[in-house]
Amino acid sequence: MAIEFERVNYEYQAFDGKAYLALADVNLSINLEGEFIALVGETGSGKSTLAQHMNALLTPTQGRVRMFGLTISRDTTRDKHVKLNPIRQKVGLVFQFPEYQLFEETVLKDITFGPRNYGVSEEEATARAKKAIHTVGLDSSYLERSPFSLSGGEKKRVSIAGILAMEPSVLVLDEPTSGLDPLGRKALLEVFKNIHEQEGKSVMLITHDMDAVYEYAKRVLVMREGNVVYDGAPSQLFTRRNIRVWNLDVPDVLKVTFALKDRFNLEVPGLPRNRRELLEAMREVLA
Amino acid sequence: MAYIEIENLSFAYDNKTTALQDVSLSVEQGEWVSILGHNGSGKSTLSKLLVGLLRPKSGSIRVDGFELSEDTLADIRRRIGIVFQNPDNQFVGVTVRDDIAFGLENLCIPREEMIERIEEYSKKVDMFDYLNKEPQQLSGGQKQRVAIAGVLAMRTDVILFDEATSMLDPEGRSRLLQDMKRLNEEGVTIITITHDMRDAVHSDRIVLLKNGGVLADDSARNILGDKELLEQASLELLLPLELMHTLQAEGLGDDTLREYLWQLSLNG
Repeated sequence: MAIEFERVNYEYQAFDGKAYLALADVNLSINLEGEFIALVGETGSGKSTLAQHMNALLTPTQGRVRMFGLTISRDTTRDKHVKLNPIRQKVGLVFQFPEYQLFEETVLKDITFGPRNYGVSEEEATARAKKAIHTVGLDSSYLERSPFSLSGGEKKRVSIAGILAMEPSVLVLDEPTSGLDPLGRKALLEVFKNIHEQEGKSVMLITHDMDAVYEYAKRVLVMREGNVVYDGAPSQLFTRRNIRVWNLDVPDVLKVTFALKDRFNLEVPGLPRNRRELLEAMREVLA
Repeated sequence: MAYIEIENLSFAYDNKTTALQDVSLSVEQGEWVSILGHNGSGKSTLSKLLVGLLRPKSGSIRVDGFELSEDTLADIRRRIGIVFQNPDNQFVGVTVRDDIAFGLENLCIPREEMIERIEEYSKKVDMFDYLNKEPQQLSGGQKQRVAIAGVLAMRTDVILFDEATSMLDPEGRSRLLQDMKRLNEEGVTIITITHDMRDAVHSDRIVLLKNGGVLADDSARNILGDKELLEQASLELLLPLELMHTLQAEGLGDDTLREYLWQLSLNG
C-alpha cells in the first residue's frame, strides 16, 4: 500500500494574475508503513504544496494521486460521491506552529476533538488521548491542564498528540521543531523516531534542519522549483558535491568530519551519523 | 553610561511564575550582543520589555538616556527597531515599497524624503528590484530583509533580532547573518535574541539567561568555550567545540588541531 503521485502538476494563480507551477511533473511513491522521510528544499520549492496533496487538501491541476483505493485528480472535488474525509484521517498533517491551533479548555478536550469529529465515541477518544499523550512524552496529568499554560515545546507535543489520536497511518509534519531550543528539538525528534519504530507508521518531516535529516531520515526528497530532484539515502545526498545548488547545507557532523580529513588527513572509518559516533571515531583515530 | 542600561528588571505573566528575575545588563553603542537562553529562559520576555510591549513589574530600562515609560515610549521606539521570528507576522504592506514606507509614515517623514530613504535602504539589503513585489512573491529570507530595510529606514540606532533566523532555510539564514555583520561594521548596534549557538558566535558578547536570570555575561569566546556553563544553561556546545573539549579532557590531539576546531566553530 502506498501513496502514488503520477505526473502531478499543481498550478496556482498569484495576485499578479500570472500562473505559477508549484508542483511540476512529480512522480513519487510513499509507503504507508516503515518510511522515515525528510522533505527538504529552499523556501518556495513546493514542499508544503506536496504535503497538502498527500491528504487531498489540495488536488492536482494535472496528473493524479492514488491512495487508499481512491484516485485524486482535478475533477475529484467536483464529484460529490468521493468522500475525502477518510483520507484526512489516514494521513495526519501537522502544520507549522500547530500550537497556535490549540483552542480547548483542557488538553484532553483538545486531543479528543479530532477523533470525536470523526464519530469516535467519547470513551474510545479518551482512551486514545491517554495513549497519545504518553507517545509524545508527556504524562496523563497534562490531560487536565489548560493548553495555554504549557511551554512552546509542550504545546507542540499536545498538538501532535491530537493528530495521533486520529490513528493515522502516515504522519506528515511541517517544520515541527522550528522555534525549539536544542534539548526540545532533540526530545521531539526522538518522539518521531519512536512513532516510526514502535508503531510502524510512516513519518515525513518537512525541515531545514540538515542534522536531523542526516541522523533520523532513511529517505530524503529534495525539491527545487516544484520538482523532486533527489530521492534517495541521506548519506549519499550529503556526500555529493553540488548540494549547494539546491540551497542545502551539509550537516554539522559531516562538515567537521570532512574538514578534519582535508586539513589533518584524519580519516574515520565509515561516516559518523551523529555527534556521539563522531566523538568516538575521532577518539579512536587519535588514540 | 551605556547606550542601553537595564537595572534589576523583573516581570511575571501571572502570580505563580516569574518570567524574569532581577536582570541587569548594559549594551554599548556599536556593540553586537547576543541574549542566549533555552526556551522559557526569559529571553523573549526581555525583548518585549525592551521595546515596551510589556510593562516591567519592577526595575528600569534606559535607552540613550530616556527611562522607558509611557511618555518616552515613542522616543525609545525611534531608537530600537525589532525584527521578529516569523517573516509573515510582520509584513504589513501590500508591496515591499509600502511595507518599508509604513514606519516612515508613522514618523510623519515628508514624501520626498520617504522616497529617498526607501530607495537607499532597499538597496542596502539588496531588495531594490523587488519594491513592487507582494509578500507572497518573496521567500522568508527576503521578507526578513524587507523588515530590516523598514527598521533601517527609520534610522534607529539599535536593531533587535528576536530569533529572526530560526524560520529561514540555510541560504536565507546565512544571508541574514551576513547582513547583520555588515550593519554592525557600519555602526548599527545589534542585539540578537536566540537559542542558536551558530548565531551567537558572531556577536562580541553573550548574555546567558537561565530561568529568568542572568547566568553569565562575558565575551562570546569565553562563553562559547565554557562547556559546564552551557550545560548548566541547558544549551548544547557547537560540535567542533564539543570535540575540542573531549579531546582536551583525554589528552588527545595537539594545539594546532584544537585551535583549528575553535576556528571551525566560529565559521558557524
